[in-house]
Amino acid sequence: MAYVATRGGARAIDQSERLYRAEFGQIDASRVDTLRRALPMLIDRVMGEASLYEPDLAALALAQTGGDLYEAVLLLRAWRTTQPRLAIAAPVLQDDLITHRRISAAFKDIPGGQILGPTLDYSHRLLATDVLQGSPYTPTPVDPAAAPAPAHQPSLAAWQKAQGLVADPVREDVAPDAIPDLTREPLLFPAKRAHTLQSLARADTGGMLALGYAAMRGYGNAHPTVNELRLAEAEVRVTHPRGTVFSAGRVKVSQAEVTSKGKSGQLNLGFCATLGWNEVKVISGATLDLNAAAAPKGSPVEEEFFLYHTEPVEASGFCIHFKLPHYVTFQSALDALRGAKTEAQKVPA
Amino acid sequence: MFDRPTEFDHATLLAVLARADVTRLTALAETLLPQLVEVEVLHSRTGLVMLPMRDTVKGTDFHLGEVLVAEAHLRATGCEGYGMVVGRNLEQAMAMAVVDAVASLGQSPEILAFLATESAEIIVRDTARLCEVEATRVEMETF
Repeated sequence: MAYVATRGGARAIDQSERLYRAEFGQIDASRVDTLRRALPMLIDRVMGEASLYEPDLAALALAQTGGDLYEAVLLLRAWRTTQPRLAIAAPVLQDDLITHRRISAAFKDIPGGQILGPTLDYSHRLLATDVLQGSPYTPTPVDPAAAPAPAHQPSLAAWQKAQGLVADPVREDVAPDAIPDLTREPLLFPAKRAHTLQSLARADTGGMLALGYAAMRGYGNAHPTVNELRLAEAEVRVTHPRGTVFSAGRVKVSQAEVTSKGKSGQLNLGFCATLGWNEVKVISGATLDLNAAAAPKGSPVEEEFFLYHTEPVEASGFCIHFKLPHYVTFQSALDALRGAKTEAQKVPA
Repeated sequence: MFDRPTEFDHATLLAVLARADVTRLTALAETLLPQLVEVEVLHSRTGLVMLPMRDTVKGTDFHLGEVLVAEAHLRATGCEGYGMVVGRNLEQAMAMAVVDAVASLGQSPEILAFLATESAEIIVRDTARLCEVEATRVEMETF
């Protein structure tokens, strides 16, 4: 191990940080509030990858980093460590989700019906350039239906299991405080399913898309169709000191199942969920989960490959550490190169 | 007109308080506070609640992520009160704990009126949203 001293470093480092922050100026509560209201999808993405649900803090992290997503996620993950864990909530069950969007691309007549919810899926992608000419864009309000949609929608997978279309493994009851937890134990392989799904829930959206897309294009062993995609709110059910279980409020969650025809005469399903509303992430994650079972070693859909390479803080941190001084390591490589060259140029006696 | 409930069960009371309008909740707590004697605050803090979820494919419970909450726990002569809300509003959690403590001694007309008003508003908000959601229902047909 060797060290490098940087002369004049403290002043230069201070000035470089000032130069960075000068780009986006003063941060105040109003800016944070505006970011939170104007960019809910980005806020959701940051919260999901940080694995911490608090929209105001996510907006602050974005404001403070000038929108650098990896830095924002790092800030939130770091801040999280200052907080005590007070409780583990009751598990969120699909049947209890307050559902805002729920579609299936595999089955058109799903129990409960198809509800598009908030989406740009069928919209024209036109940039509203008039806004830059001084004409504000005001979205047209929804014409609400006379009667509300049911708050809860039945599980498609449960219906498929009842029909014998997909396997229905016997589930093992685990107390909430015994659920394996990646924030307190390392990820080891073969991974426990609870670790895999927690890791996917907090993974980098872009990384998951890249690897999931590779599987979709053919570098996997199963082509996905969306069995069910759901955007919803989940109640955070905690326990009062007198034992009453109650909802302390709601958080936004996304979940996806993707399916493909299995070899056993049944459908195979992959699953992924995350905090916040982030469809690309959960569809990609479910695709990776679907492909993982039969993946060859070293392929992008092998569990160890995709879980290690989509952890946003570790991956971005490792990437940017290459900017830091590597002079001694590199000097050693140069010395070896020069030595080899000298040896090669020696004329045999 | 609906009849006003004569009592809210504890889980409903707490859930309504957690989603009640914060300004009105705080105002109610301030009017109720003089009813509590020798109040001791055991906790007033923010912290994390881990949120597990059940996988719909294999039925595995896993951790979805952590939720920041504000928590308040107080003790007074003859009662205890507890509040926990999603977010970081300590004042909201403490107001909830005060109302919970006083309600544990008996749900007074003032508390019942508050709970009835707030639960009705929550239902109105949720229903309005679900009417918007229903407007996006589609029928898929194949040709």
